[in-house]
Amino acid sequence: MQNLIVHDVIAQTEQLFELQLDRANVAFEPGNCLALFNNNEESRPYSIASGTDDELLRFLIRRVPEGPVSQWLTERKPGDMVQVSEPFGWFQPGRSESEEQSVFIATGTGIAPFLSYLRTMPQQPPQACFYGVSLAAEAFALDELKALPNFQLAVSRETANGDFHGRVTGLMEQLPLESNIHYYLCGLDEMIDEVSGWLEQKNIDYTHIHREVFFYADAT
Amino acid sequence: MPTQRDNNWFFSSKGEKRGYIQPQLLHELWFHTGTSCNLRCPFCLEGSKPGDDRLQFLTLEDAKTFIDEAVEMGVEKFSFTGGEPFVNPHFISILDYALNLKPCLLLTNATEPLMNQFAQIIPLNDKPYPLNFRVSLDHPDPQKHDESRGKGNFKKALDTLGRLHREGFGVSIARHMLDGEDSTAVDKAYAPYFRQAGVPLDITIIKFPEFHTPGSLPNVPEITESCMTSYLTEAQRNGFMCHYSKMIVKEKGECGVYACTLVDDDDDYNLGRTLKEAMTERVMLKHHRCYSCFAYGASCSEGPCNTDGEEGQISA
Repeated sequence: MQNLIVHDVIAQTEQLFELQLDRANVAFEPGNCLALFNNNEESRPYSIASGTDDELLRFLIRRVPEGPVSQWLTERKPGDMVQVSEPFGWFQPGRSESEEQSVFIATGTGIAPFLSYLRTMPQQPPQACFYGVSLAAEAFALDELKALPNFQLAVSRETANGDFHGRVTGLMEQLPLESNIHYYLCGLDEMIDEVSGWLEQKNIDYTHIHREVFFYADAT
Repeated sequence: MPTQRDNNWFFSSKGEKRGYIQPQLLHELWFHTGTSCNLRCPFCLEGSKPGDDRLQFLTLEDAKTFIDEAVEMGVEKFSFTGGEPFVNPHFISILDYALNLKPCLLLTNATEPLMNQFAQIIPLNDKPYPLNFRVSLDHPDPQKHDESRGKGNFKKALDTLGRLHREGFGVSIARHMLDGEDSTAVDKAYAPYFRQAGVPLDITIIKFPEFHTPGSLPNVPEITESCMTSYLTEAQRNGFMCHYSKMIVKEKGECGVYACTLVDDDDDYNLGRTLKEAMTERVMLKHHRCYSCFAYGASCSEGPCNTDGEEGQISA
């Protein structure tokens, strides 16, 4: 455990914000999380969105109504301290054999581990990156993501300029399907269940499907 | 090892000599892989949650020392618990080493940390000794299981149980034991789920009573020396885990040998830095969880050491 200094808290929407902490000596890999604590010793895991050489630790956070940690974090000011755990995780986007490819599919703040990968390994982009949000304003880091060779944004609750209108699962038919691709799914449980089930139906090997549930459909 | 134990270690609150177990042969060695877990279950006896470091990740180097010492002492199996063992980034390399030497058992919630490493797990089936997975399925009711473990986690665990079985690994499940339950009926209620997963209907079901969270002090009867001889046979005393097993725990950067899998929240049960040293230490039954062993024959093991009653299962 250690305390890190808040660098900034940047609102994305009323419910979403990016928390930036001074990195200190934290070493991590893309996909790692830290448990962030409030002043009441309660903690929640948040995935790091920074590249492994960045100076700041960046977290994409949804403020959960009555959520004791996200609520407390959104009220932090630059210079405040936040207690954090050591990095940990079981979801490692892009960490496959060198001859294998990756596809990333995210919803909401589930884009964080993929941003960490992209900011760490910009020279090895995924074959495709599909990102689902409810409203266009909720999409993080769009400038970076839209520079990827095969990026698509799916916006489900409004029509957005040039983007797919609907849930990200509506893009599944456009997914590249090859036996040497690893599929990394992060975000809403329903999306992960639906996409992983569909991939298995398409004879994608179970060991090539990697999952990280960030939140549940009935809790959002 | 603790520098000093006070009278509470030796005597009950009424001043009577506490019951104890004198360890004998080391049959089974447990490793605590660390209290970090991907889940946050309110009943967890370890208080595990994401990023928790009350007990730290065991590394391969940590484990090797004790694996080698245990083999020298004639250990018959290695077992692993957490936290969720697959959250520990060193865990698969530890298994890879241990499976060269003895059969292994691991306890898992069988969700994302295991699922995401399935490709690395499959080759462990080719090791010289077998690997058995004990998957937590708390209740034969997905909704009840998911109330504590999170939505969808019964389905994931059941699916993973079936996949592990199809890959040729040994599987069993652990469940909660409720007060006054009809154990046979509860066990039978798993049958449709076992069919769905494609696992044999007679796989071992380990039942655990309420153990309470770490540091809690529930009011349970104290076990005295006379309790151990008046109410238990020698075979029953030999069935206590602390009689034939120990657990390795890493805390504050150092590994210690604890008396069993259930008492790692009490320094008095840190019996030393080596297995040989720890096996000489008499284990006083002062922890509230010792009463579970006394009253229910609680055991985390599946081995042949419970010589009275159903092996490895809790029978009231």
